[in-house]
Amino acid sequence: MLKKGGGGRVEVRGTKADRPKIPGRTFPETLSHAWKFRGIYALGILPLAFFLVIRYLPLWNAQIAFKEFSPLDGVWGSPWNGLANFSAFFRSPYFWPLLRNTLMYSLAKLILGIPAAVLLALALYETGRRALRKVVQTLAYLPHFLSWIILHGILLGLFSASEGLFNEINRAAGVGTVNYMGDPAVFPFIVVLSDLWKEMGWSAIIFLAALMGIDPALFESAQVEGASRLQQVRYITLPGILEVVVVVALLRIGTILDAGFHQLFVLYSVPVYDVGDIIDTWVYRQGILNADYSVATAVGLFKGLIGLGFLVAANRLAKRIAGSGLY
Amino acid sequence: MKTNASRAFLSLALVLCVALGAGAQAKPVEIELWITGTASEAGPPPADWAGYRIVRETLGIEMKISLLPTSFTDQDTKIVTAAAANRLPDILHVNRDVFIKLTKQGLLAPVDELMKKMPTRTKTHYDDPLRNKLAMYKGKMYGLPDPGKMPMTDGWVIRKDWLDKLGLPAPNTIEDFYKVAKAFTQNDPDGNGKNDTYGFGAYIETSDITNWGLGVRFDPILGAYGVTGMWDVTSAKSFGLNVRKPEFYDAMTFVARLNKDGLIDPDWTTLKKDEFRARWKQGKYGIMRENFAALSTVANYPAFDKNFPDGEWIPIPPPVGPKGKSSEGMLYVDTRIHVVSKRAIDAGKGDAVAKLLEWFATDGYALAMFGEKGVNFTLDAEGNVSTAGLPDPEKSYAKAANVPVLQLRNLASVNSDWELLPRYVPHKTINGRTIRPLDIWRYFTKQPWTEATAALLIEPPANKADFERYYTENLVKFALGQQELSPASWKAFLAGLDKLGAKELEKSAKAKVEEAGLLK
Repeated sequence: MLKKGGGGRVEVRGTKADRPKIPGRTFPETLSHAWKFRGIYALGILPLAFFLVIRYLPLWNAQIAFKEFSPLDGVWGSPWNGLANFSAFFRSPYFWPLLRNTLMYSLAKLILGIPAAVLLALALYETGRRALRKVVQTLAYLPHFLSWIILHGILLGLFSASEGLFNEINRAAGVGTVNYMGDPAVFPFIVVLSDLWKEMGWSAIIFLAALMGIDPALFESAQVEGASRLQQVRYITLPGILEVVVVVALLRIGTILDAGFHQLFVLYSVPVYDVGDIIDTWVYRQGILNADYSVATAVGLFKGLIGLGFLVAANRLAKRIAGSGLY
Repeated sequence: MKTNASRAFLSLALVLCVALGAGAQAKPVEIELWITGTASEAGPPPADWAGYRIVRETLGIEMKISLLPTSFTDQDTKIVTAAAANRLPDILHVNRDVFIKLTKQGLLAPVDELMKKMPTRTKTHYDDPLRNKLAMYKGKMYGLPDPGKMPMTDGWVIRKDWLDKLGLPAPNTIEDFYKVAKAFTQNDPDGNGKNDTYGFGAYIETSDITNWGLGVRFDPILGAYGVTGMWDVTSAKSFGLNVRKPEFYDAMTFVARLNKDGLIDPDWTTLKKDEFRARWKQGKYGIMRENFAALSTVANYPAFDKNFPDGEWIPIPPPVGPKGKSSEGMLYVDTRIHVVSKRAIDAGKGDAVAKLLEWFATDGYALAMFGEKGVNFTLDAEGNVSTAGLPDPEKSYAKAANVPVLQLRNLASVNSDWELLPRYVPHKTINGRTIRPLDIWRYFTKQPWTEATAALLIEPPANKADFERYYTENLVKFALGQQELSPASWKAFLAGLDKLGAKELEKSAKAKVEEAGLLK
């Protein structure tokens, strides 16, 4: 069913009744069908195995979140201790600051990261100069392949209080030295913006791919109708990639309590613990370095549950607002 | 005919049994070792290292060696993660905190019986009752406390050429130190016309509950106020956290002043060890606390020498505080704890482990310390290690390229003069000045130190992450001026510490130390 949406938007929607019914198959028919498309099914074996082995089988070990885990007794043999591991985390005086920091970085990266990637993808798509596009694309992707250790060196070169470029400029301008990396007021901006710079190009790939999938005939028709470039973006391009934007946003919301351990672990230091310590860095110090495996698992489970809650809520919201969701 | 056939069958069976038995005997026992290498930048011994062959042929052991990361936290992460899966190697090096955790989890084997199987090593390596206490848990030895770590290696040093340039005497008191640090920061001591030097260089170096807070690089400054280290373990009466003493507040006031006046590298809270070392080699610092070997050996000094041929670091006594106190740092009867996993013993590798460790203390001792005799080193008429007469001088143990064959030194070393003299050889600078690393170390050893061995027995609290963060974060904020340092804020800081269980921690720590008989 093709209908005109608000603002001249073309929407393709269908009700359950509109969809063609797939005739019921018997089991042998299903097998025969599967055999016919065995090549396609074979492609799915590796990803399925990945999810089974890496994502589902370890769920068995999640029970140590409710146990006092001892490596000698093993996962099954360790004694149960109820919710003690969860309460160890909730009772930490840093629980709320950790949650606040985690959400702050995660949301900031989400809110700034997706629009920035969409804008970059749009700019790359719209540019007529192929050579320029290639150069910008390469430069934008490059930081994604650098580890945070290398980026720490680069950031230190820029923001170091004694040797950094910005402080050299400050000193030349007669302004005092600013310890950017150690200043709680500045540090969050360094975290968010450096992540934006590192990942914007890479994140844009999926949006660029979605843009490539838009039917060129729509643009041609719009041009014939006299639509400006901006109008084409507004009425064809953006609606065309909306579903992909929603899916990407939903997937990120599912891991809302993953604020970027590697980045924070490398960049944070004692003076910025207030704004730099996130749930994962706390888990590293308490759960891993202190060999408190059960607490680490309990926090992981807590993060997963919160992520699931956010995902379900966001999916409903996305369906209501954008008309599509993950499932 | 039947008899002959039976005989032939029996003979064949016998031959097969003997052959299979011999085959089984010939199969070497695999021993996996996770060891701290002697040189962080070099890899493990190469596949053609003589040690592998000798151990295989003489002991029937196949060594599988992994070098642990150099940073304490990375080391702990690797070990603790393996422990979670009960996948510890057969022999490994652990720091004291991890040692306690692994022992409590039952992952380590008691070593009393093993020690009986290595009589020479027990005599040469485990003869110090005090050191042995550091490897005990509930009165039983679960670790092998090797004496490999040299004591008193880090001390207070200053750029003599800067002092000379500015016509200043070496500082004696803590106020002298402040004045010299100020001159080094503001009076262009290197004469390059730029404002690019700092009087004092440091970074936050902490490893365990003995030195949380500002870390060991600040020890001489805190020592001037009599509060070196996190704990006072000098007597039963004074036992407790040093932050409770009024002198600690005074020391923090001094550090905050140093920071406020810009006399310390403003990056000190974010620097890592390598960056810190790169900076003094770039001529940024005038005074610091540094390891004698990192400062002066033939492997480490040239980078500084190349930049500053006229530069000269000299050791000086640690600063004297208002009450006449001074300390170079915490003095430990230090040890490098090697442990044997319970998994290894359960797999029947106990004898092989004992044989291997005994070999490192006997036949393999020189090989581990200096490489192959006649290839990597020779012995002079007095039996001292030398490189004279080597067929290929490029294979000398002293050449940086050959460091990988010496990576297992920590399993053998006993810190005798026979070892130390050839390890820390005197060398000449570009300008022909002779540097004797061991002279610098000996100078450090003659300075005042604060006895702290008992502090090594203190176990971190259950809420380690919170306690450590609160303690260190607040001290650093006071030092940086991010948090006002006043009697009221200090009182609030101590109250917060108590809320996190500081009093209970002190109580349990005292009991632990008293139980070991280490508190006067």
